[in-house]
Parts: sequence; structure tokens; C-alpha cells
Amino acid sequence: MALFDGKFYDFYTHPAPGDRESVALMAAVAKKYGYSGIAVTNLTENDLYMADKSGNFSIFPAFEIPNKRAKLRDEIKKRKEDASILIVKGTDEYLTREAAETEGLDILLQPQKFNNVLAKIASDNSVTLGFNIGSIIHMRGEVRVRELVLMKANLKHARKYDMRMILTGDPHSHYDIRSPREMAALSGLIDMTEKEAFDAMSTTPLGILKRKSPDYVQEGIEII
Amino acid sequence: MKTLPTLRDKKRYMAFEVMSEQVISRAELSHEIFASACSLFGDAGCSDINSSLLSYDGKYGIVRCAKGKTKEIRAALACISKVRGTRISILTLGISGTIKGAMEKFIQQTLINKSEPDKEDKQ
Repeated sequence: MALFDGKFYDFYTHPAPGDRESVALMAAVAKKYGYSGIAVTNLTENDLYMADKSGNFSIFPAFEIPNKRAKLRDEIKKRKEDASILIVKGTDEYLTREAAETEGLDILLQPQKFNNVLAKIASDNSVTLGFNIGSIIHMRGEVRVRELVLMKANLKHARKYDMRMILTGDPHSHYDIRSPREMAALSGLIDMTEKEAFDAMSTTPLGILKRKSPDYVQEGIEII
Repeated sequence: MKTLPTLRDKKRYMAFEVMSEQVISRAELSHEIFASACSLFGDAGCSDINSSLLSYDGKYGIVRCAKGKTKEIRAALACISKVRGTRISILTLGISGTIKGAMEKFIQQTLINKSEPDKEDKQ
């Protein structure tokens, strides 16, 4: 299947903070499973030092903005010029709205109570919608059913407003990493097509990296 | 009594590799695969998948499923994260139409690649 020969990325991983071995182990397993890079939340300088040693595999810094209502907009505005990938977890309606309305945010992960109005605003602000496949892996029973329902609804909004999507396994250790094909199979449970899953693990992350590069000017403008 | 060859359902054989904190026994893994598939797809879905663990040596294994249900069994294997409190990750190596094919093309090939890491890097 030629679809799965591209470069794949997982932009929401959490190895033990400050533990070089944990980052290196996660990078080694991700590379073995077919990923070209991972983004580690709240990465330290020491972790980046390890990243340089791992050859043709990249580790990017990501920043998960704390879920504090008052500071969300300021934090996004302050950090939007940084090299870190900015992520907000949409744990409630207020946070989801704040995140969708603020330009400069990269990923809005698993928003609760997402609706057509917020989807339109998020799409206009080039916010990528994140799907946390890790919740399907680790949850069981009623909680998993609710997560599946939520993700199916979010997928419908993303399709309607042509939002970019991203898939993450939310790994906390190297045992939580799943290969891109398995992630695509799991995303099939929420009616995501293989092409959409491929784009969510390859095309969209590459687009975010391009936007974060120092050469990037604006959408549609390129330095030749 | 055997089923007529023309009435037999076509099957697929999925080779996989297990990465776990401790060695998982065959019975435990078999039970976990069945539980995971049943939890995800229900009893009726599980009967359509018709999965069965054929071989497992503590590291590599082959699971059988119905043709056209490979995506479902892949998802069921990916959903296994713990067995008896031991953290586990299952990587699907490939799918074949015969047990021999799954064994030779995926499991033996993976072992050869592991014994010759330089050759693998060049590819």
C-alpha cells in the first residue's frame, strides 16, 4: 500500500520530563514503527541534545498550554512566534471557544462541545483539529463509547468546514506508541477514511512544520 | 465433518510482534485479543472477524481472521495496552493469505533484518 510509504509524525507525546532515556527510547520505538519524527510536550534542552543524536529522526518541541481560562489568549499570543508547536486540549466549551478564536494556535485537541460556529472560526484561524486516538486505546466501556461519539461529531464538523486534522496516540511511554497503519485502522472506528488518516499523520504535520520554519512568511507566500 | 472447499470462508493471516515488560503467555494473549475484539465490535462483529491466535512464541505470532476484516483485527490488536498489569504494545508486521507466507515474508524477514542491521539501514 503506497499510501503508507510517506513521512509520519505524532505531535503530542509525553515522555517522562527531563528523562533523556525516556525520550531516546520513545524516539527509537517511534522510528522502528515508521515515524519520521515526534513532537514532545514541554521538552527540555537536555532532551533536545538527545534528539540530535538520533540520526534521520526528528524531535520537535511542543507546548501544551495549561487549561487556565484567564491566561489562554495571552499565552497563545505570547508564544505564537516560538518554534514550539502550540497545543490546547479542549476540555470544556469555554476553553474550546477561546482556543478556536485565537489566531496562532496550531492544534486544538479533542474539543468537547464543538459545534459548527466554532468549527468555522477555527477553520478561518487555520487551527488544526486534533483527534486523540490514545483515548480509544486506553479507555474501555461507556467512557470509550462517549469518546467515539465525540470524535465522530468532531470529524463531521471538520469535513464540513474543511478543517485540517491531526491524529495522535497521546503516548506517555514507548509502550503506548502505535504504528501509522494501526492508527489508521483505529481512526476507521470513527469513520475516518485512510486518505484522511494519512493526511492527518503526514500532510498536516508537514504543513505545521513548514509554518513554524523561519523561512515562512504567510500562507501562499514563499521566499525563492 | 469437513466443510466443502467451495464453501470455506477465505482467511487472512496477520503476523505481529509483541513488545512487553514481561513475557506474556499464549493463553493470556489469546484471551486478551478476543476480549479486545469483543469490546470494540461486540459479539456479532467478533463472530464476523472470526479471529484465532495460531502461533505465538513470546515475541512473534500469527493471528487468523476473515478476509476483509483485517482492518478490524488490526484495530483490536492496537487496543491491547495491558495484559495482567503488564504494559504491552503489538506491532503488526504484515498480512498474508497463507500461514507459510506470513511466517516467511514477515517474521523470518524481520529476524533476518534484525541480525543484519547495517543492511536494513542502507535500504
